[in-house]
Amino acid sequence: MTRLDSARRATRHQRQWFEDLRAEVEAGAPLALVNADAPQEIFRAMGIPYVVNQWWASIITAKRQGQDHLGRVRAHGYPDDSEQYNALPLGGVLDPEPDTGPWGGLPRPTIVLGETTGDAARKVFDVWDEQPGTTFYALESAAENAVPPNWWELMPHRWEEAIGSDRLDLLVGELEGLIRFLETTTGLVFSETRFRDVMDLVNEQEEWNRRTRDLVAAARPCPLEVTDSIPSVMVPQWHRGTAWGVEAAKAFHDEVAQRVAAGTGVGVDERARLMWIGRGLWFDLDFYRRFQDSHGAVFVWSMYLAIAADGYLRYGDDPLRALAARFATFSDQLYTPPWSVEWYVKEARHHGVDGVVHLVSDDPRGSWFTTRGLEAAGFPVLELHADNVDARTADPDTLDRKVRDWLDAVVLPRAGARGG
Amino acid sequence: MAALAELTALAADRTAVAHEWSAAGRPVAGYVGADVPVEVLTAAGFLPVRLTGDPDTPPVAGDRYLGRGLDPVARSVLTRLLDGAYGPLSALVVSHDCEASLRLFYAVRELHRTEPGIALPPVHLVDVLHLPHRTTTRYVLAKIRQLRTQVERWKGSPVTAEDLAGAVAAHDRVRSLLGRVAGLRRTRPARLTGIEALAAVAATTALPPDRAALLLEALLAEADALPEAGGTRVFLTGSSHDHPRVHAALEEAGLLVVGEDHDWGDLLHHRLVDPPPDPALLELALAERYQHNGPAAAAASIRQRAAHTAAAARACRADALLSYVRVHDDAPRWDFPAQRAATGLPAVLVDRQPYGRIDLDALTALRTPGVAA
Ligand code: SF4
Ligand code: SF4
Repeated sequence: MTRLDSARRATRHQRQWFEDLRAEVEAGAPLALVNADAPQEIFRAMGIPYVVNQWWASIITAKRQGQDHLGRVRAHGYPDDSEQYNALPLGGVLDPEPDTGPWGGLPRPTIVLGETTGDAARKVFDVWDEQPGTTFYALESAAENAVPPNWWELMPHRWEEAIGSDRLDLLVGELEGLIRFLETTTGLVFSETRFRDVMDLVNEQEEWNRRTRDLVAAARPCPLEVTDSIPSVMVPQWHRGTAWGVEAAKAFHDEVAQRVAAGTGVGVDERARLMWIGRGLWFDLDFYRRFQDSHGAVFVWSMYLAIAADGYLRYGDDPLRALAARFATFSDQLYTPPWSVEWYVKEARHHGVDGVVHLVSDDPRGSWFTTRGLEAAGFPVLELHADNVDARTADPDTLDRKVRDWLDAVVLPRAGARGG
Repeated sequence: MAALAELTALAADRTAVAHEWSAAGRPVAGYVGADVPVEVLTAAGFLPVRLTGDPDTPPVAGDRYLGRGLDPVARSVLTRLLDGAYGPLSALVVSHDCEASLRLFYAVRELHRTEPGIALPPVHLVDVLHLPHRTTTRYVLAKIRQLRTQVERWKGSPVTAEDLAGAVAAHDRVRSLLGRVAGLRRTRPARLTGIEALAAVAATTALPPDRAALLLEALLAEADALPEAGGTRVFLTGSSHDHPRVHAALEEAGLLVVGEDHDWGDLLHHRLVDPPPDPALLELALAERYQHNGPAAAAASIRQRAAHTAAAARACRADALLSYVRVHDDAPRWDFPAQRAATGLPAVLVDRQPYGRIDLDALTALRTPGVAA
């Protein structure tokens, strides 16, 4: 199958954008390194260039520089088997020759923004904070007792009710502090009208993603490979709040719509529809394709498009509070039972999947409850245990064999019976 | 040495007093993590009992629900909770002191929802956070009020200002006494071993505060009669210890744990609430105490930890620094390089250790002649 144009365009845009960013920073602009789970829209509104930590980690991994980046983390006395994904970019700044990193290397950020998620993620940012010229601005990662039913329906407008005021008050206060910090340290201006504009553009972009997700869910056969949908949705996500981001999300949508109208699939006889739960297997992207050829099993779902469709929309008159609402429960949506469990079940139904492959990595994120919830809803689940960025912990042959056996024994018979 | 013996026995048999309490028809609340404001439970008439794991029992159920990539202590606590090992609990309060506790809370909440046949006490999360900012104080204050409301619901009547003030005073008294007890092993020679100090702290988390205070006072009164404790004086950092096995192994190997910065040790009690005279500010004082207590490995910055460890190791007259880190307890390993630099002591990191065990071969560096006591 040919690659999606939107995926190719996105990848090309990313190279050019990064080159421009390097030039801008060289000329004296500040640079922010922002964790994916932390609000980026304030930097956008203030015109402060930023790079998303996890995106940069994925580039390091794709360029096969992960092990030497982790090696530098280890050489400084820090663990290389804790928070690997978050820590990869740190390995770049610890490089005595930072220009040897991918794409010419990441310039040294002036500010690092991250949530204090888990026990060790904030420590990675603490090490950033020790680098000359870099400040870590920490956000709390708060948690709540109450769970809203069907959060994906409540969130776009009734987020105050879904999240609760305490967490929103906290994050709004922290973001007000961030704005003042940036105004003070960069001399740049935070304009409220500009910020509203950015928030509107983000909602517009995510509405396109929602339409695209719904198209993919309803289409038979599946119009695109999951590996293509990931860059088509994620690269524009890193450019949220720009006209380019909206255009890219729309172009992706239109391209998918064309394929659906033409009945184009991924080039195989689609015999089973699969859902992928967990982060991407970055070290083995062909993994997803292998089972198309051998079994007609197509991965129709990964969290990237789906969370873009359901996780980001926030409307309301108070844009800063709406931004807080976008991020206050970001990890709950993906990883906290029952938020995540109910959402996966709803998405599995929406996409009519025949089975779920569930990547269970070492970090504990309610995996048992996810598997149990999907099985209780009637979906066969195969759990794979691996860590997505660390090729040392996964053995591809074993993974392959497990998936094949499961497809033969469970999924294909079930899909066949259902298809008639 | 009657008081020390009794504290040690109560540290080991943590349900003894809870059973008396339940038999008298009074409610017992289990709690997880040093960030639970026990004052609120005491004020409502609950006996707060801090839940411990057990390294000897395989955490089968805990592994199933939490996965094996999490601190084994939390996996053990969930297993024991499901086994009913803590006796009858009227309530369970879990703090967000680390990721493992939070995941434990989510698992219990989800088991309530999806497996109503499993007997588990009603559960509440108290989300005490620790960034040193005003925004966090306001949030923690809201969480303390939320806990108070929940406890009142369990109790069926209000927690009065007098009840709360009394509970704060009682727990502050225990904390002050624990501080004096910790002093017994800071002297040269030490009058208390690490394992004894650990037992004294642990016992107070399974007792009503008034009874804990009486026992600690008795211990202090008999301090002069305690034998001298010998060994290479080490300051223990890294993971926390809800079980004495690691201390026992260290002290058998000739080390003397003279201080530690985990929350079953000095970190549990070194900061008081010390409420201001205006009773309207009591909840705020509680919020600030719990926000700023620490710095625990999972919630503090590398810099805060290093500064604290260095000061505490000096105060304890330690000759060496040992960081003991359990498997899947990730934060302390990131702290170690800065802690070693800040203390300037001979230092060893022993990481990825199984629950309740330590690889003593890794400690030879601490037993060189230059370091001996
Ligand atoms: S999906 Fe979530 S965890 Fe994965 S890279 Fe994006 S923000 Fe990070
Ligand atoms: S696949 Fe996603 S994370 Fe990887 S480079 Fe593309 S956009 Fe970034």
